[in-house]
Amino acid sequence: AHTTVDISGLLQHVKFQSSNFENILTWDGGPTSTSDTVYSVEYKKYGERKWLAKAGCQRITQKFCNLTMETRNHTEFYYAKVTAVSAGVPPVTKMTDRFSSLQHTTIKPPDVTCIPKVRSIQMLVHPTLTPVLSEDGHQLTLEEIFHDLFYRLELHVNHTYQMHLEGKQREYEFLGLTPDTEFLGSITILTPILSKESAPYVCRVKTLPDRTW
Amino acid sequence: QEFRFGSCQVTGVVLPELWEAFWTMKNTVQTQDDITSVRLLKPQVLRNVSDAESCYLAHSLLKFYLNTVFKNYHSKIAKFKVLRSFSTLANNFIVIMSQLQPSKDNSMLPISESAHQRFLLFRRAFKQLDTEVALVKAFGEVDILLTWMQKFYHL
Repeated sequence: AHTTVDISGLLQHVKFQSSNFENILTWDGGPTSTSDTVYSVEYKKYGERKWLAKAGCQRITQKFCNLTMETRNHTEFYYAKVTAVSAGVPPVTKMTDRFSSLQHTTIKPPDVTCIPKVRSIQMLVHPTLTPVLSEDGHQLTLEEIFHDLFYRLELHVNHTYQMHLEGKQREYEFLGLTPDTEFLGSITILTPILSKESAPYVCRVKTLPDRTW
Repeated sequence: QEFRFGSCQVTGVVLPELWEAFWTMKNTVQTQDDITSVRLLKPQVLRNVSDAESCYLAHSLLKFYLNTVFKNYHSKIAKFKVLRSFSTLANNFIVIMSQLQPSKDNSMLPISESAHQRFLLFRRAFKQLDTEVALVKAFGEVDILLTWMQKFYHL
């Protein structure tokens, strides 16, 4: 983050944290900040002159501010800055690095329904909506934003044997399983072009007993 | 995996590698650019570029980046120990450039002229700045260029 000379040690680590395009500005107080220190947030698009004050984050004591709506265009580039004010010391302003949610956002685990059957387990991946809007105003899913997005599914049968499936579709089924047996499934989202990989969604599921005898 | 800028096809370039290369330099370079109120690759340069136009614009921009930005910025980047990443970017830009063959057909004149106007918008902004400042800013905007190029990339 760009630094104005901070002799008073009021403010540090001003940065965006982004997950599934939820963009939160965070910062830390410095060694001399106190519970009375208040913070004010401004933001702008890269290339624009005017800084805009973020309503709701003026003279606050908390050390985070949700700028999701203000930084909603995922192909745009933004800056934000925080000004810290404390009695008896000059105010300090610090700016973030240039922020692009497309590059910076991390991907949360997918939402999946694991459905056990007698000799198979079905996995239904649900679409993940984001705050990003299309040109006609509807919320975009991760799939609509990342054209290279695909799912990787693993089924741990035992310590040494796993089954793998992957693809862009949302419905998968692991076949040929033993009835009445517990399995561990894990499902990950990958977007290779920007080298993003989510943490896995994990489901522990038991195939149904075979009652056909 | 390839780029398809309209009828211009480019193979042999792995876009994730370009991103990785830029990310190793991004903060080093962008923190040197203190002019946050000026952007060279303005939205008007890259917004709503048609497929047909994209080959001309990509050719002009990459040629400028290679002949002006990379060429003159090379000496500055050396001290930041990111030469390998810098070379990865430059070499891949050369590969892309070498395969871009924008059509010289007269029927394409209006399209090539539209692309040229976009390029001039970028170059005019570049020339309005002090050369050193412009070089740092242009290099810091490679991610804006990659974000645009990514639309034409097919796995």
